[in-house]
Amino acid sequence: MNDSLAFPYPVPEYGTEPYWAACNEQRLVMQRCRACGHFRWQPAPICTRCQAPDHDWAPLSGRGRIYSWTVITHPVHPAAIAKVPYVVVEVELDDQPGLRMIANLLDAAPYAIAFDAPVRVCFEQHPAGQYLPMFRLS
Amino acid sequence: MSPSLAERACIVGIGHTEYSKDSGRSELALACAAITAALTDAGLAATDVDGIVKYTMDNNDPVDIARCLGMPELRFFAEVAYGGGGGPLGTLTPAAMAVATGQAKAVIAFRAMNERSGRGTRRFGQAAPTPGAEGRMSYLAPYGLFAPAQMIALAARRHMHLYGTQSQHFGQIAVTCRHHANMNPDAMMYGRPLTLDDHQASRMIADPVRLLDCCLETDGGAAIIVTTPDRARALRHKPVTIAAAGLGAGAWNNRFMVRDIDAPASESTVAARRLFADAGIAHDALDAIYIYDHFTPLVLMALEDYGFCQRGEAKDFIGDGSRFRLPHGDLPLNTSGGNLSEGYMHGMQNTIEAVRQLRGTARNQISNARYALVTAGNAVPTSAMILRANG
Repeated sequence: MNDSLAFPYPVPEYGTEPYWAACNEQRLVMQRCRACGHFRWQPAPICTRCQAPDHDWAPLSGRGRIYSWTVITHPVHPAAIAKVPYVVVEVELDDQPGLRMIANLLDAAPYAIAFDAPVRVCFEQHPAGQYLPMFRLS
Repeated sequence: MSPSLAERACIVGIGHTEYSKDSGRSELALACAAITAALTDAGLAATDVDGIVKYTMDNNDPVDIARCLGMPELRFFAEVAYGGGGGPLGTLTPAAMAVATGQAKAVIAFRAMNERSGRGTRRFGQAAPTPGAEGRMSYLAPYGLFAPAQMIALAARRHMHLYGTQSQHFGQIAVTCRHHANMNPDAMMYGRPLTLDDHQASRMIADPVRLLDCCLETDGGAAIIVTTPDRARALRHKPVTIAAAGLGAGAWNNRFMVRDIDAPASESTVAARRLFADAGIAHDALDAIYIYDHFTPLVLMALEDYGFCQRGEAKDFIGDGSRFRLPHGDLPLNTSGGNLSEGYMHGMQNTIEAVRQLRGTARNQISNARYALVTAGNAVPTSAMILRANG
């Protein structure tokens, strides 16, 4: 595979491998505090609300709403030349207020995208093998 | 004694190289040229200076610079994290603290980079050519989200949604900076006028961010020298007093450069909190403002967060932009052209212009300029100062 033709693959960090492993099973999980139940994103070693040390990698509903988005038209990476225009979306997940993540919005005409539009997670395999969470309008 | 930095440190030297697309020299050469220019401007020898503060992102090593300049000793050195765009006043703040507390006599803050030619520094508008992405970027880069312009586009679109801000409002910032660059022969965009129609016709980079919403990419160097008011009396220029300084960050700055514009506070509101009280002035005492202009939408957000207007009201505050433009505007903005049109020295060029205005030596001089606000980049951990003229 020619790496320059794909966006960078994620390199799991020590302690966050379960997130990527779950993605490979096409499941979306995030750290949830065992003490207070608070989800946190991006990963952190302790609860960002109550600072308790223990967490589970808990499943999410995979449902959310569009908080914001951008249609990227200018390629800044070799792989982007063939991909533009592509949509990067910031999704607020239904599981917790303010819990937001970045992904691509697939198969959406730019004019069809709207604030608060409901989306559902799906998974797409990176050429290097790792599955990545993505979203589609639901 | 006041607990603030107010009145205890001042700027006595400024210097910069040409701003270009290809400097033709090393980043170390740029740093040395900017610093020696600042020393000459101050009337100081290198041996009079005993501290250096650098931007974290700067590739130059202070000890290497000390060797080149023949500085016999360094009693103070520091790096400012988030420099980068957060650094222009962030470097000056520890420099000011060092001289105010007697840890050093005089301190250099500098920024030098070949950011446009790529000879030493990677272009910030291009993705790093690595097959894998680590750390926070592992959650962004696989989606093709690399460059600051792309990241801030998400915040810009949200601002438009919440407050009715339009691309034309962003464009007034670009037009203002270009207007001032056309009064400054040293500016990279001198001689290239820009209208709002030109802005609206410029191609989309990451919708809603257009090419002309983005700052320049620049090779160059800039340096500023700070010392105490006592030492400043013997030097060449009337000093410019650091009337107030503030840094600011919040936990929300750590997630990504995707700004949480729904959060009640921002890095800028934190930096701004004590600024005007420490300086002992209100907003209407400012003769000029230097708002870090990496991307025009973020200038609007900074105007709101520094208290010129309420959240969401920047579009009304800027109007047709004429209030920001010399010679008639009531609130001149980025009077040498800014990051958008003078040169992108990570904001240090804006601070240098503020000093020129407060000395009374600017090309497009504001009469009797007394106070200026200078801010560092927002959407990242930031810094800000209010500077005051003397005499």
